[in-house]
Amino acid sequence: MLTLPLPVIQALQVATVVFASPGITGVISQVEARMQGRRGPRILQPYYDLAKLFRKESLAPLHSGPFFLLAPVLAFACYLTVPMLIPVLTTYALPLGNMGDILGGGIILAFASFMVATAAAETGDPYAQLGASRAKTFGAITEPVVLLVVFTVALVTSTDLPYVLAATVTSGPDQLVRPAHLLASAALFMVILYETGRIPIETHTGTIELGMIEEARPFEHSGPYYALLKWGSSAKQLIFYTLFLNVFAAPWGLASTRELGDVLFAIVALIAKAIVVGIVVSVIDNTFAKLRLFRITEFVSAAFLLAVLAIFTLYLGGG
Amino acid sequence: MIEILTVARPAPTVFDGTANTVAVVVLLLEFGMLRASLFGAQVRLYAAQSVAVSVLAGVVAVGRGVPELFILAALSLLLKAVIVPLVMMGQLRDSRAEIAGSGSLGVASEVIISILVAAFGFFAVGALGIHSEVLPAAALSLSMAVVLVSFVLMILRRDVISQAIGFFSLENGVSMASLVIAAGLPLILEVAFLFDLLVAVVVFGVLIRVQSDRTKSFSTVALDRLRG
Repeated sequence: MLTLPLPVIQALQVATVVFASPGITGVISQVEARMQGRRGPRILQPYYDLAKLFRKESLAPLHSGPFFLLAPVLAFACYLTVPMLIPVLTTYALPLGNMGDILGGGIILAFASFMVATAAAETGDPYAQLGASRAKTFGAITEPVVLLVVFTVALVTSTDLPYVLAATVTSGPDQLVRPAHLLASAALFMVILYETGRIPIETHTGTIELGMIEEARPFEHSGPYYALLKWGSSAKQLIFYTLFLNVFAAPWGLASTRELGDVLFAIVALIAKAIVVGIVVSVIDNTFAKLRLFRITEFVSAAFLLAVLAIFTLYLGGG
Repeated sequence: MIEILTVARPAPTVFDGTANTVAVVVLLLEFGMLRASLFGAQVRLYAAQSVAVSVLAGVVAVGRGVPELFILAALSLLLKAVIVPLVMMGQLRDSRAEIAGSGSLGVASEVIISILVAAFGFFAVGALGIHSEVLPAAALSLSMAVVLVSFVLMILRRDVISQAIGFFSLENGVSMASLVIAAGLPLILEVAFLFDLLVAVVVFGVLIRVQSDRTKSFSTVALDRLRG
């Protein structure tokens, strides 16, 4: 069997996330439509949308600086970097895998979101600025939850490398049922709902500008730049799903060797697992109502509670 | 290829982990009561919490081979998860009053206060160094946290339903603590406690009924207007 060199596997990690992510978005909107009794868009629709947008011309608002056009490219570059740091396909760390820990990945994702928000602030469009300011405000209150989840990981594994936590989780059933692990995973899942702009935080497909957070930010971008932002938000979604699946919830099906067959199986397994998470997310989308803007703090405080309890039980020796 | 060091913090055994997880679920449901906005939701949360306590008793019965705990689990499931909620719902069926927004603080602040209070309970009991043969000590700390958070619930929510449910869930916390400390307590005593609870439920139900009939609401804010 063909043995792949490590850099190729690393490139495959990035490629998997980038090229599979619009498909995952497509599957989620298809499943959601089916649950609502609609036929829904084709699963490949996000790819067609991207292809169409890349062919369109792009306009920038008057008086916006060069950063307006630079931000989508830089943000997309950030989303390409993170899959190198987290276990996407392999159980072993790849050459560049140890250049950043979970916090490093989090900082890069936050940087991407900062640049998109700055570009939105530069447009002068009230809705884009509204979205940007909301994203930053609520980002500031979800950040402590992420930090506490990372601290939990650090207490459990004594490092904060995602590969080590994945290896710890698969090492036995006692690691799976420990409350610290379950609570941290649940808190992370709630943060993912926030970060990917799903119900109960915001409606993903709506056109109601006043309730928008994530969706409002690229209002003024058009053409290839808008395509990059859309693609970037799909990629971010799959990155978060991968982080949740391959580090916390289900780090099974990853390649432990460099054989081509194993790596291909890992790609298929990741996509299958991400689709399962996507189905869960669309069930949540169809079950709950969107929270009023000022009640998002309640949602975040629930996630915070889970993460704090994870740390408490660890300190008491029961986690 | 970079070798990965797996120096994990020692995990509790599967039994301890499961028991602690169930205890954490009990605590989380207690937190859920802080934000419940319908009285049916409050009663359902209490029923779910009682189910979790019964499951914990069942886990101990299976894991540690204490067969009489099965009887206790079944009895408390029947009484606290079925009869008490039915009695509460039955007594208040015709009442249309709401309990939404009865908290004297915002939900997020209530949760943060409860986290602090729960942390105090956690570490105060943890510092006592009580060891139990049947359950991990963390479960005792968790049950202390349940008791303290139910106090916060009774203090901060200004409606009779939440206060009554807070009192009943306090009993859930206490029975969880008794599972840790005294799993071998004679069954007759445990059953006596359960029937005490039933008496409390009936008395509270009547009081709630009188209150809601007189003031047409569940709110306790209006209580001082009844004087004179």
